[in-house]
Amino acid sequence: MNQQLIEQYVAGKLSEAEAEAFEDSFVANRDLARLVELEQRLKDGLALVASGSTEEFVRAENPLPWKLALAASVLLCVGTLAWVGKHLSGLHPQLLAAVTTEEQRTGTSMRLALIRGADGMPQLPAGTVRVEIVGLFEPELHYTVALDRIEPNQGITTLSTLYGEHPTSPVTLEVMIDGKQLEPGSYFIRVRKQASDEEALDFTFVKP
Amino acid sequence: MDFVPGGELTRRIREGDASAEAELIRQFEPGLRVLLRRRTGGDHGLLQDLVQETLLIVIQRLRGAGIEEPEKLAAFAAQTARNLAIASLRKTERQKTDIDSAATERNADTARGVEGLAEDFEAAMAVRALLRELPQSRDSLMLKRFYLEDHDKEVICQEMQLSEAAFNQALSRARRRFRQILEERGFAKRDLLNQGP
Repeated sequence: MNQQLIEQYVAGKLSEAEAEAFEDSFVANRDLARLVELEQRLKDGLALVASGSTEEFVRAENPLPWKLALAASVLLCVGTLAWVGKHLSGLHPQLLAAVTTEEQRTGTSMRLALIRGADGMPQLPAGTVRVEIVGLFEPELHYTVALDRIEPNQGITTLSTLYGEHPTSPVTLEVMIDGKQLEPGSYFIRVRKQASDEEALDFTFVKP
Repeated sequence: MDFVPGGELTRRIREGDASAEAELIRQFEPGLRVLLRRRTGGDHGLLQDLVQETLLIVIQRLRGAGIEEPEKLAAFAAQTARNLAIASLRKTERQKTDIDSAATERNADTARGVEGLAEDFEAAMAVRALLRELPQSRDSLMLKRFYLEDHDKEVICQEMQLSEAAFNQALSRARRRFRQILEERGFAKRDLLNQGP
């Protein structure tokens, strides 16, 4: 009974009179107050995480019955094989990819760094671009790199995520972005140490 | 469950018993913080100020004139907090037309909001850890629908083909784990986890 009241109170679903009566009761009962506070903090924490990135929820969207999931897996395997074939022949580069060739290492690049008071945002050059992310990295660890689009009035959409990336040096991590696949707008790259609770580093740029 | 003997506390505070004032603060502070958190729109500095002000008013009242129904001391404290929150809201509305006052307030807020930002950060980190640990992605989607999109339980259960018992069980498991994560990381010792005597 208490839990239902707690849920309704935190969700703002009680009438004013009901809410006040419940407030009177938990002010008198600090154990109950702590349960309500836990619920408030869980809700607020979820809202904060959701506003920062949709990544945590992406894997949970559209739960599928297992047969459908199996069919999707088969299609995914076929699609992956098809993609690998295209990728190897250089016909259709991935939106976000690891740096693998010498040509990529010496090609067009953009540097992203967290600089206080920097004027304006970096602009992504045309074509396929090597992005040098400058920060403090631990070369022996894996990092996750996500490319997010900032949607006007709609929040943030994760477009692509790379897992298991190694830094190229203690101060640089590099990835390739295929700018041709991006609409003009604002984006950010989010770098997170895998299997760690450390906050992600966010680097913003603009696709003209 | 705590039982606050309002009449007894009232009498002892009127007689100048400092330990009774400390007891009143210990008993009422968690609930007042929850009540005011809901009514201060995420302004942690204001929340803390109003909690302190409420406790001060209640203690001063008990030291002086007392209250008519001492057994309803908690209700009196809650109503005092609500009144202060309303007064604060009105003051903020008035100040929206006064640019200088608003600027002064903003500067003050920056300093006093630091503790609140830390609380937000703690909660967000715990939630991230929780989402990573959830046994099924279905649970994460369920939390999103319930807490962020405010869908009713019945609707979520229907959409996700869950029984209400299974839903409640998953929700309860998530809450328990969220609390454990906060405990394991030593978060929020001051409030949520401070069980006290």
